[in-house]
Amino acid sequence: MAGIEKVPAPRSGAHTVIGSSIVIDGEISGDEDLVIQGTVKGRISLRESLYVEGSGVIEADIETANVEVSGQVTGNIAASDKVELKADCKVVGDIRAPRILIADGALFKGNVDMDVKETKGK
Amino acid sequence: MTVATIDGSTIIGESILISGSLNGDEDLTVRGRVEGTLTLTKTLVVEPTGVVKAEVQVRNCIISGAIVGNVTASESVEITREGRMVGDISSPRVIIVDGASFRGRIDMGEVDVEAERETRAVISRPAPLPSRPALRPAPRPAPVERKVEEKTVAVAAPKPPVPPAPVAMGAVKRKVIVKRK
Repeated sequence: MAGIEKVPAPRSGAHTVIGSSIVIDGEISGDEDLVIQGTVKGRISLRESLYVEGSGVIEADIETANVEVSGQVTGNIAASDKVELKADCKVVGDIRAPRILIADGALFKGNVDMDVKETKGK
Repeated sequence: MTVATIDGSTIIGESILISGSLNGDEDLTVRGRVEGTLTLTKTLVVEPTGVVKAEVQVRNCIISGAIVGNVTASESVEITREGRMVGDISSPRVIIVDGASFRGRIDMGEVDVEAERETRAVISRPAPLPSRPALRPAPRPAPVERKVEEKTVAVAAPKPPVPPAPVAMGAVKRKVIVKRK
């Protein structure tokens, strides 16, 4: 498949890749890193990191440890560790995480909540 | 096409569960679980750790893991030595190898009954030794005279034609149970 650009850097531990022509409508759950280059609608819950590549489109609520977005996300993001919005990403929805990074060039609309004291409650 | 490479194709890792519908135009390798419906225009590979409980519609399907559900393939379905499947297969080419386990129906589409009968007749004669010919020693270097003799013998008892793909041929539209432990 010639037209498909390579994943920028092979991320260690990322076993699961949803390719650019794949459309998933439903729920994804798991205990490992997930790289999304395609389209996912529904819900994503992981215990590891989620990488939304430039070609990735997500219309889903996300619940993970880490999220790194270079593509498009519509939906709420809840991360137990960190959310990183890279330049060129488009995110619409609320973000809840103890650490949130928004790079120059990122488009974001929604609420940010960093006051997450997990396990202790608010 | 070579075996799917790691980059550029889609891989569902071992600990991942996808439930819902999955559509795509590229090869997909399943090492985890997929439940619901799975529609691809290319090849689905279910690796030994993979479990698919879904209605599957693909071009090619190679099963080394488990599939529960019906598989419709426009080209071929192959159940390998480690593959397990319960469900119906609809595909013009179906390959089930020794060691595979399968329960369900197979439909290879419109099969020309006349032609099938003929091929079956041809196949059924040498059937007793389907895989033996390969095990025979290579033709011995023999003096010319003997070669001639052998030739005549060979004409009298024609060598069996190459046996067809195992199992599947006779399995059209019939309940098939292939189970080996």
